[in-house]
Amino acid sequence: MDTSPRAPGGRGTAVAFDARLDGLTGIAVKGFLLSLVTFGIYRFWYMTNLRRFFWSRTLVDGSPAEYTGSGKELFLGFLVALAILVPVYVGLFAVSLLSPSLAPFSAPISFLVLFLLGQYALYRGRRYRAMRTLWRGIRLGQDGSGLAYAARAAGWWLLPLLPLGLAFPFMRAGLERSRIRHTLIGVERMGSTARGRTILGPWLLIYAVALLPPLALGLAFLAAADFAPPTDLFVSKGGKGATGINPDYDGTTLGLLLVGFFGALATCLPLALLLVPFYRARETRAFMNAASLGDVRLVSTLRARQFYWPYLVYALSLIGFVALLGLIVALLAFAVRSGAGTGGMSILHLVIVPLYLGGALVFAVLYVRVIQARLWAAVANTTTVSDAEGLGRILAAARGPGSGLQEGLADALDVGGALQIGF
Amino acid sequence: MAAGLTAQGRYFDGASARPHPVTVSLTDRLAVSGPGISRDWNLLDLRATETVPPLTRVGAAGEAARVEFSDEALAAALAARCPDLYRRESRGGTLRLVLWSVAAGLSVLLVAVFGVPVLARLAVPLVPDAAETRLGRAVEEQVVRLLNEPPLCTDPAGRAVLDALVARLAGAAPDLPRDVAVSVRRNGLANALTLPGARIVVLSDLIAKARSADEFAGVLAHEFGHAALRDPTRSLIQASATSFLLSLVLGDLTGSTVIVAVGQAALSAGYSREAERAADAYAVALMNRVGGNGAALAAILERIARDEGEDDLAFLRSHPFTRERAAAIRAQAGPEAEAKRILSEAEWASLRAICGPDAAKPEKSRRRRPGSDARP
Repeated sequence: MDTSPRAPGGRGTAVAFDARLDGLTGIAVKGFLLSLVTFGIYRFWYMTNLRRFFWSRTLVDGSPAEYTGSGKELFLGFLVALAILVPVYVGLFAVSLLSPSLAPFSAPISFLVLFLLGQYALYRGRRYRAMRTLWRGIRLGQDGSGLAYAARAAGWWLLPLLPLGLAFPFMRAGLERSRIRHTLIGVERMGSTARGRTILGPWLLIYAVALLPPLALGLAFLAAADFAPPTDLFVSKGGKGATGINPDYDGTTLGLLLVGFFGALATCLPLALLLVPFYRARETRAFMNAASLGDVRLVSTLRARQFYWPYLVYALSLIGFVALLGLIVALLAFAVRSGAGTGGMSILHLVIVPLYLGGALVFAVLYVRVIQARLWAAVANTTTVSDAEGLGRILAAARGPGSGLQEGLADALDVGGALQIGF
Repeated sequence: MAAGLTAQGRYFDGASARPHPVTVSLTDRLAVSGPGISRDWNLLDLRATETVPPLTRVGAAGEAARVEFSDEALAAALAARCPDLYRRESRGGTLRLVLWSVAAGLSVLLVAVFGVPVLARLAVPLVPDAAETRLGRAVEEQVVRLLNEPPLCTDPAGRAVLDALVARLAGAAPDLPRDVAVSVRRNGLANALTLPGARIVVLSDLIAKARSADEFAGVLAHEFGHAALRDPTRSLIQASATSFLLSLVLGDLTGSTVIVAVGQAALSAGYSREAERAADAYAVALMNRVGGNGAALAAILERIARDEGEDDLAFLRSHPFTRERAAAIRAQAGPEAEAKRILSEAEWASLRAICGPDAAKPEKSRRRRPGSDARP
């Protein structure tokens, strides 16, 4: 990984992330263990430590960013959010308890309420992070209304449902524009020209891989069956409600097409999931390139493979660890059986709990080091700022650091992670 | 003071992002000077923010101006002379934080274990009857779906005997909230469930396993006890409150979810022992009042507990408890109870056939106990 700030081309200057990561493992181990001991309350301080670490290693034009938030603010924000959420939850519960005729609708109602609250919380959380970020002593900020953002997000989320998800990239670009255009660095407002059509291609690729083969086979099946599938196609197999394809249709065109349809469904969806990092990389690159601050533009050369690498490393270590775990458990089980002790199984149980906790610890650390740090590094190190002189013209605003309670709702609702890549 | 250390750096005035090249020199104060810049900071005021060495960034506390330099000798000297350079507000508070949050967590756990049952008992009388009835209907739909939609048993002769038995028990039963609705469904579990709103669902294997009408009536009376004491509604409120409380506190962090799952299982699996004992006492008193054999409940309890054998829930609802319950039931029923019969042999025969003649044989492999009741 490139650790030094790259030589700026022309008057441009680099964004860089120092990927040496000394001390990150310590933060993650301490954060995980203390969160466990404190019933999760330490997570706010853990999150703050992580952010301070990542911010301080992200350099723009040689100057690192500065995170000034604190765990106490996050915790207080969480408590305030609880005060809002508890009545909401109790109300939703009371509705389903007191009028079961409404009970079937209580799930959609709570989904809608929590979705709107979640979008609102995301926007407010982003404002908190912006206001706690300093660069060269200049405070970032975000204006605009969280409620307006939530309403816009709800509108955008409804829209993709209509034309079969094809509007998804346009939704992403629209929300990105409204986020970036409300972002302030000092007194300067950022601009974004993010367009949905620039990322329509990668999205269509996912779409084609996930949906086209099953759709084609399904249509072929319907055509072969003259659009009237025989009613005896499925027979129940064995016990409770399990059905399978009637063996009478084995080997016929109809049967083959049907098997093909289910096979395509089962293979294409995982394949499409594999394309998600590709889409994310393209989207990040397009959105970074669209962002600007006055005359200063961001230029990103992010490659999709830089997003795949961390996931590959993480997946391989996951597989390796699970294999090791399986081996240990198998060896233990073997030892216990040959030892023929009656207390053997309880020893096995005693071993499994530390193994589970140890595994969770290892994965928490790996997740931070491999996924979060490397994705962050990939985005930062491929980004340059077009005009270093232009950065010098940024002026500080007279704004204060703002309320510290704004991110709690996002945590209470479990939306938005500790770290979000890019802006 | 030692000789001054100097380094080249960049100064940012906090008003704009423009870098000013400066010379930083450390004596008994920190001087920053360059074209048009002349700052002189007291070392006690200096704070450094986190950076990756060799880069160091310092500024006076509460000020937006910063100076950045990459000189490790100067950084080390500065750290040695500025006591508060790396001071952070939360410093040293970690232990206090851990202790307080452990205390807070324990207090919530105690509330969940001891406070919630009390609150649930206080809250039950506040639930309106109409709401409880609607709730019972909704829960019954859910239970029926979970049991793979067992068919209702509606043999007219058997149903008539059952209705007469229910009316006879209900007539003598105190505190029963409203009309009891007893339904029988064909299922291989020997169990009876009491749902909110005095809805009792009997699964047919219970009738098959009963050796006499008094055994069956004893289980029914036990369920009447739960209905009269409003255990199902209380247990529903209790389980909801406990899971809500636990998930609120534990948030989302790894490992905690396991604790929640185990906690909920241990806290809300069925009713408490006190509730079971109370329902047993209610059942025996009711059976004595209507002229049935109150001790028969003990017999069917023991039989089904024996069939149950190594149940997955055995560690939570241990066998000595069954023995204890049976002894208490027999003691309360008295020695003369064994001679009493609640139904005639003919009536019992038609009740046994309520699900059709072939359902009257008990299923061997099934194991579940009556009175271990609903977990709605």
